Amino acid sequence: MKKLLITAPIVAVLALLPYLGMADYYLSYLYIIFFWVVLATSWGILSGYTGYWSFGHAAFFGIGVYTTATLATQLSWPFVATIPAAALLAAAIAVLIGLVVFRSGTLRGEFFALLTLSVTFVVAAIVSNTSLDSGTGVFLSGIEIPMIGVTASGSLYMFGLIAVLASLATSYFIFHSKFGQGLLAIHDDEDVAEVKGVPTFRYKLISFAVSSALAGGMGAIHAVYVGYVTVGETFAVTVPLYVVLMSILGGARHWAGPAIGAVIITVLQSAIVSGAHAEFGRAGVALALIVVILVLPSGIVPSLIRSFAGRRGGIGAPETAAQAGTQLAPLAAAGSDPVLLKCENVTKSFGGIRALTGVTLDVWRGEILALVGPNGSGKSTLINMISGHYAMTSGTITLEGEEISGRSPHLIAQQGVARTYQIPRLFDNLTVLENVQLCAKFGSADGMGAAAVDAVTREALAFTGLAGKAGVLPAALNLHDRKFVEFARALAAKPRLLLLDEVLCGLNPAEVDHAVEMIKRIKAGGTTIIFVEHLMRAVVALADRVAVLDQGKVLALGHPSETMRDPAVVSVYFGGQ
Amino acid sequence: MLLEVDKIEVGYGDAIALWDLSIGVKPGEIVSVVGPNGAGKSTLVNAIAGILRPHKGKIVIEGNDVSKVPSHRVCDYGIAVVPEGRRLFTMMTVLDNLLLGAYRSVARTERDATLAEVFQLFPILKERQDSLAGSLSGGQQQMVAIGRGLMAKPRVLLMDEPSLGLSPLIVGEMFKIIQMINERGVAVLLVEQNVNKALEIAHQAYVIEQGRVTASGAPEVLINDPSIREAYLGI
Repeated sequence: MKKLLITAPIVAVLALLPYLGMADYYLSYLYIIFFWVVLATSWGILSGYTGYWSFGHAAFFGIGVYTTATLATQLSWPFVATIPAAALLAAAIAVLIGLVVFRSGTLRGEFFALLTLSVTFVVAAIVSNTSLDSGTGVFLSGIEIPMIGVTASGSLYMFGLIAVLASLATSYFIFHSKFGQGLLAIHDDEDVAEVKGVPTFRYKLISFAVSSALAGGMGAIHAVYVGYVTVGETFAVTVPLYVVLMSILGGARHWAGPAIGAVIITVLQSAIVSGAHAEFGRAGVALALIVVILVLPSGIVPSLIRSFAGRRGGIGAPETAAQAGTQLAPLAAAGSDPVLLKCENVTKSFGGIRALTGVTLDVWRGEILALVGPNGSGKSTLINMISGHYAMTSGTITLEGEEISGRSPHLIAQQGVARTYQIPRLFDNLTVLENVQLCAKFGSADGMGAAAVDAVTREALAFTGLAGKAGVLPAALNLHDRKFVEFARALAAKPRLLLLDEVLCGLNPAEVDHAVEMIKRIKAGGTTIIFVEHLMRAVVALADRVAVLDQGKVLALGHPSETMRDPAVVSVYFGGQ
Repeated sequence: MLLEVDKIEVGYGDAIALWDLSIGVKPGEIVSVVGPNGAGKSTLVNAIAGILRPHKGKIVIEGNDVSKVPSHRVCDYGIAVVPEGRRLFTMMTVLDNLLLGAYRSVARTERDATLAEVFQLFPILKERQDSLAGSLSGGQQQMVAIGRGLMAKPRVLLMDEPSLGLSPLIVGEMFKIIQMINERGVAVLLVEQNVNKALEIAHQAYVIEQGRVTASGAPEVLINDPSIREAYLGI
């Protein structure tokens, strides 16, 4: 409500400017700012949120430009009707590209940037060499623009304003939605986001489509604004460069960041172009930008938010530290089948190397099963098979009778399988609270309500003793606490099966005792646990059963102290004579 | 003492991997460091090689404190590393891999003579000197890694899990080779999971667990020490 009270008058004043008789020159000037705000904001929806930096924004903007140029001149469509067409076509092409590129999780970083950049050149070449442009450019001066406002410039100004409002509203709502939180998690660690239940492929595709649709729509308006469109101007590399710069300056991970950056850079640019010593001005601005980016690497908006929050005495007042005895609420519906997880003949080859050569293993409901074995015996690979991180070569894995092998990791996570990582892989730009919350939100198939998410998050934080550190970023925590955030995240998903990958490694003896005691409490809550561990004392102390893997096979399985006395096991550990 | 590790603490960020750990290697000795996965064995090798910096303590080679020497200079003090997993330059020939080992100036002057010695030790490498290192079998690649280490004319050869990923037959051969190298006067610090073999050829041994030395002494005594059993098997 308070936000609306601030926003509404600003929007009203902006909408009234043409009627108040503002000169066309100034309306045009404001339009140019709007133009860059829309492009930067739409870029942020894919690239700022997910970290998939696109250098191909000009392609989607250009598709919009030429959709309108073609439909309005060659097919005599009314201008307004070309805008949604432009947006839809841009989104459709983005989806086609995304379907190919996002399939493989490896095309990140510079590969994605280069690939999207090359899309720009391909689209430009197609447009230039067909009747869409014919290499001569297209005149749109004859297009009729519906009159909103008083003059033609005023009308375009109004279209620009609508585009700005649409983009900012879209970005705002995405930023504050579950979808947006998933995108931000993809930015920090895509693999982990997937394992925590975020449908990464679908999310990337949707954000790419939305981002491109907004750029395409702006392209439609801009085609009429410039009146004469050429391939060289439209698909210029300067478009993505400016957009990236604006977003970084303002803060790409915040909905308002790109817009703020766009306003600053556009205003500075025009101020310099009109001045006497333009070249010095430009150099000065460039230098200032470098300094700002070095000083505020996360951008102006996030930095300001942080400093405000800091002055108000920290993000969220520190809660009371948890008492060590907290228990987890028992799991809702426990099934009856004594076997929770069944691995049948699970095999995995990496190229010619066989990491798992037919593992058959039943995991009983409510037990702690330890997976041990020498380096390279296949323990982590088995964990990765169960969580779906790797597709298996052959075999099946079933959870309470339901086959989970072959499914995407996020679906397996939503079935109630949670895991931790040996080296904590937290979402570095999310607070501890947000890290845990995200896993509560995405960790179940039906999706909990906000109140339930809140309750589960609070419970997981209290259980791990992290309630007092909920508001800090992971970087501020020591290893012990970061490991406990891993625990909290896994528990927030209310897992039936918890996979712990070397949680004790790197902890000092007191911390090991603390963690061991916590694992016992998790088991008491009814969660079945598989844990990979090298610290054998802890294995013998914790495990109900131990499975010894050697060269991709289960060598021995049974009660810990008996199994570890098995001569075959002893010889694996000590080496042959 | 040829190599003395004196009460070092080493970690990765705030994760401490070695606590107050001391070991020593005398000239001409084979010293084995055994311990289960995650005990800190590779961390120890990386700390001596200068890849990781100790937060506390020092590493002394023939009286020189090298704990602050950059890792590419540590080899000048007579240390060569045969890393875990071999880490060969797989797209280069066997010969080029070996010659790169003689990069330091002292070794370069005697390069041809050392190469002849390495080829004498590993005749198969002479035959395959023009093959790409990546095309060799696991055992042969391990020979290249050892040969590359020897080309630096080290006083101490650090070997990190030389038996890893090799078939049992080749493992036996590898330990014989280590003894042969040692007989030529090179001290060896051997870090191994394979307890029986590592203790069999050692003059002196240390057991480490969770970043600390839990037992040390003569290998024939240590083999019966309950701390090894406990570290490895938890019983």
